[in-house]
Amino acid sequence: MKINFILNDEEKTVDIQPDTRLVDLLRERFNLLSVKEGCGQGECGACTVIIDGKAVTSCLILVSQIEGSIIWTVEGLEKSGELEIFKKYFKKHGAVQCGYCTPGMVMSARALLNKNKHPDREEIRKAIAGNLCRCTGYNNIIDAITAIAEEGGFGV
Amino acid sequence: MSDLKYVGKSIPFKYADQKIAGDLKYVSDLSMPGMLHLKLLTAGIPRGKVKEIDTTRAEALDGVKKVYTFKNTPRRPFNGYYWYRDQEMIKDEVLLTDYVRHVGDRVAAVAAESSETAERACELIEVEYEKQEKPILDLEEALVGGDALHEKGNPFAEREFAYGDVDGLFAKTPSELIFSDKMETPKVHHAAMENHACLAYPEPQGKLTVISPCQLIFSVRLIISTLLDLPLNRVRVIKGNMGGSFGAKQETFLEPLAAFVARDLNRPVKIFFNRRESILATRTRSKILGKVKTAVSPEGKILGRDIDVIVDAGGYTSNGDIVSAAMAKKISRLYRIEHQRYHSYSVHTTTPPGGPCRGYGSPQIHALTEVNLDRAAAALGIDRVELRLKNLLHPHEKDLLGGPDIGNARIIEALEKGREEFNWTRKKKANQKSGRSGRYRRGIGVACATHVNGYYNVYPDFSGINIRFYEDGSILLNTSIHDLGTGARTIMAQIAGEVLEVDPEQITVLEGDTDRSPYDVGCHASRGTYVIGKAVQQAAVKLRELLLEETKKLAKNLPGVKPEEKLEVVIEEGRIRIGSDHYSYQEIISRIQLENQQELNVNYSYHSQANPASYGAHFVQAEVDTFTGLVEVKDYVAVHDVGQAINPLAVKTQIDGGVQMGIGMALMEEIDFDQKGYPLNTNFHDYHLINAPAMPEIRVFLIEDKEPHGPYGAKSIGEISTVPVAAAVVNAVNDALGKFLTTLPLTPPRIIDALY
Ligand code: FES
Ligand code: FES
Repeated sequence: MKINFILNDEEKTVDIQPDTRLVDLLRERFNLLSVKEGCGQGECGACTVIIDGKAVTSCLILVSQIEGSIIWTVEGLEKSGELEIFKKYFKKHGAVQCGYCTPGMVMSARALLNKNKHPDREEIRKAIAGNLCRCTGYNNIIDAITAIAEEGGFGV
Repeated sequence: MSDLKYVGKSIPFKYADQKIAGDLKYVSDLSMPGMLHLKLLTAGIPRGKVKEIDTTRAEALDGVKKVYTFKNTPRRPFNGYYWYRDQEMIKDEVLLTDYVRHVGDRVAAVAAESSETAERACELIEVEYEKQEKPILDLEEALVGGDALHEKGNPFAEREFAYGDVDGLFAKTPSELIFSDKMETPKVHHAAMENHACLAYPEPQGKLTVISPCQLIFSVRLIISTLLDLPLNRVRVIKGNMGGSFGAKQETFLEPLAAFVARDLNRPVKIFFNRRESILATRTRSKILGKVKTAVSPEGKILGRDIDVIVDAGGYTSNGDIVSAAMAKKISRLYRIEHQRYHSYSVHTTTPPGGPCRGYGSPQIHALTEVNLDRAAAALGIDRVELRLKNLLHPHEKDLLGGPDIGNARIIEALEKGREEFNWTRKKKANQKSGRSGRYRRGIGVACATHVNGYYNVYPDFSGINIRFYEDGSILLNTSIHDLGTGARTIMAQIAGEVLEVDPEQITVLEGDTDRSPYDVGCHASRGTYVIGKAVQQAAVKLRELLLEETKKLAKNLPGVKPEEKLEVVIEEGRIRIGSDHYSYQEIISRIQLENQQELNVNYSYHSQANPASYGAHFVQAEVDTFTGLVEVKDYVAVHDVGQAINPLAVKTQIDGGVQMGIGMALMEEIDFDQKGYPLNTNFHDYHLINAPAMPEIRVFLIEDKEPHGPYGAKSIGEISTVPVAAAVVNAVNDALGKFLTTLPLTPPRIIDALY
């Protein structure tokens, strides 16, 4: 099956089995290794990407569902320069330990900032509720996202 | 005031940029040309002898390279905990088994061109069991049931540690001054976000290389060499980037299988587990069933204590005996107790094996003893903080069980600081006023705890370091450190940087590689900062001396210097002063190379000089919804006696992470089984972790009063941070409910059961 979508600001067409999971497409075909797999069941958030502005767990999405979608991964944010502010504050606030959850956290945070430019801590907590982290205890991540929101500058 | 330049600073972690950008390749991200995927078939039944395994359909599948079972893999038993030659232990695990001892036991493995093919092939393997045997689940039954999962039967180990006259004391103590509890702590999944993975590949001349996100490269090497009959120099183990461990990746059980298959097929082989496999086919926090009896004077002096523990080792021995000794060795390092006894049995059950898990028995034993202390305080009408203060050890007080000096133990300050910051007295009064009525009930809890700093005098505890200056003044620090995600490499760079007056940014810290880095016994037992960090500090001191020595030789040849003239050579603020002239490291080191023809390179081996205790005091305010049984942690204060924080932000993050794990143990995390022995929790939809909305803000305070043998006075934080948590949370819930619940985790059904 042929599927067209926009991935990190580039038009893509792939010929692929429709029941392939998006996480596999991104990791294996496009080598986007920021997309991690921690549970394969939509429960850990390590595989979070942004599809049409919303943070979703790519292990639960089949490629047949993404026709015409706009998909972003951390690699895309890196390319567009948007990742800089995440790097700055995630580092500053100690939001990264082993880092396995981090790209997923960044994508959930990015999706939140899309629709809510000034989230409070509770809203941030909710936005990353689906992203599990075993290392940090989340609070430093919330500090980082708060600082990013404060600095602002996110368009839609 | 300290004039430290890099130590004590919250420097961002090395490789953080790469992690954020997804550029850092974890072992699970690695692939190699020609790489095969090795998928395990893990047992779907709790117990039974394999009668027949039919692999023909799996083998016939396109893309399958080979199928492995007990019939074509080494049969030599091992213990994944084996880390130095001739270490005595029960070895009862094999690579692939013909007798299933728990759901998740390793039965077969398929090597295939893709992971999907390997997975499909696993489904085509038909295993026939002789019969499904009775599971062993209940620990007390296991003790007396006479049912043996292994040759040695149950219990397979017994331990006793005692001092003073426990029987005499209890005989003369009136029963109203004796307080007893029975506590069950859960089998917990480490839940490192990266599932277990490893990659093995053959190299020329019969050599095997393994990349593993492990904690002890030299143990992995030793076990592979033993199982595959290879000399140590034919096995190379490289510590790969890891997405968390918490002890889960401390033991060796996957690497030898991957190595064997890589050699057998002469191809690179990768294993990458899914979550179910990480939960059921790796290791867990050992479950315990503990009983405690404490004699306390009416004034609140702890007179004596008698502890009885059954350790659930699961299906294989692993560290199921050693963890018990580790628990015993904590009981005399927190409070002054003149008569004490600890007795334990370890039993095998038909559940996933226990293994090392952050705190290594300490969270379990402290849950038992700290919850029990609250019972005593309540009965005697003594404030719970006061009761603890009356009994806590002072710095350098003797460990009555005979353990090493507790060192500069600052638990009393920690507890006092916590009481003040938490507003203990005010919160207590507020609770008393509101009483224990209404739907939402609030309670407060406190717990103190202790943990180790390495293995001094018990096991080998030494660390080799290689450190060298490059000619531009930057540094290579070659260690066998395993950065588990905690920032260990950054910490090491801060220590070396402080000694050598070089920005940690200019210091490359290598992790373990058995072929290229010096020997170290591994990153476990909270020895990273305290032992390896000290080794780094000492090695850096040697390098500094060498730099000065070589500079002095050089100074003689400087233009305009008379041979008899004695010039002062010193290091000042990262520059070298010779007489009154200043030089950069770069200038001097380049000349040392050219003129002295000497490399500035130090090899240094350090062994620990002590094993002081690290301490923590945690305070919790919890709110229980008596309709649903749900508990919300409202306020949390954690005070830790760390000697010196090398990187305060890293310390804070360790504590927050430790609290996240501990609240889980107290309230929700448990691998549980139905009566037939089948697991009820196999992924994150039924094994819940504390997520961001459920996580409280943690107010962290550090007591920094230097520890003599630690680098810059530092001691451990990684494990101790999670040790008091479950006890403190349970104490808060119990306070809210006016009960003494002791079956962990305190899930909503258990709370509701206790209430109605
Ligand atoms: S891997 Fe997709 S949510 Fe865990
Ligand atoms: S940083 Fe390790 S899981 Fe989040």
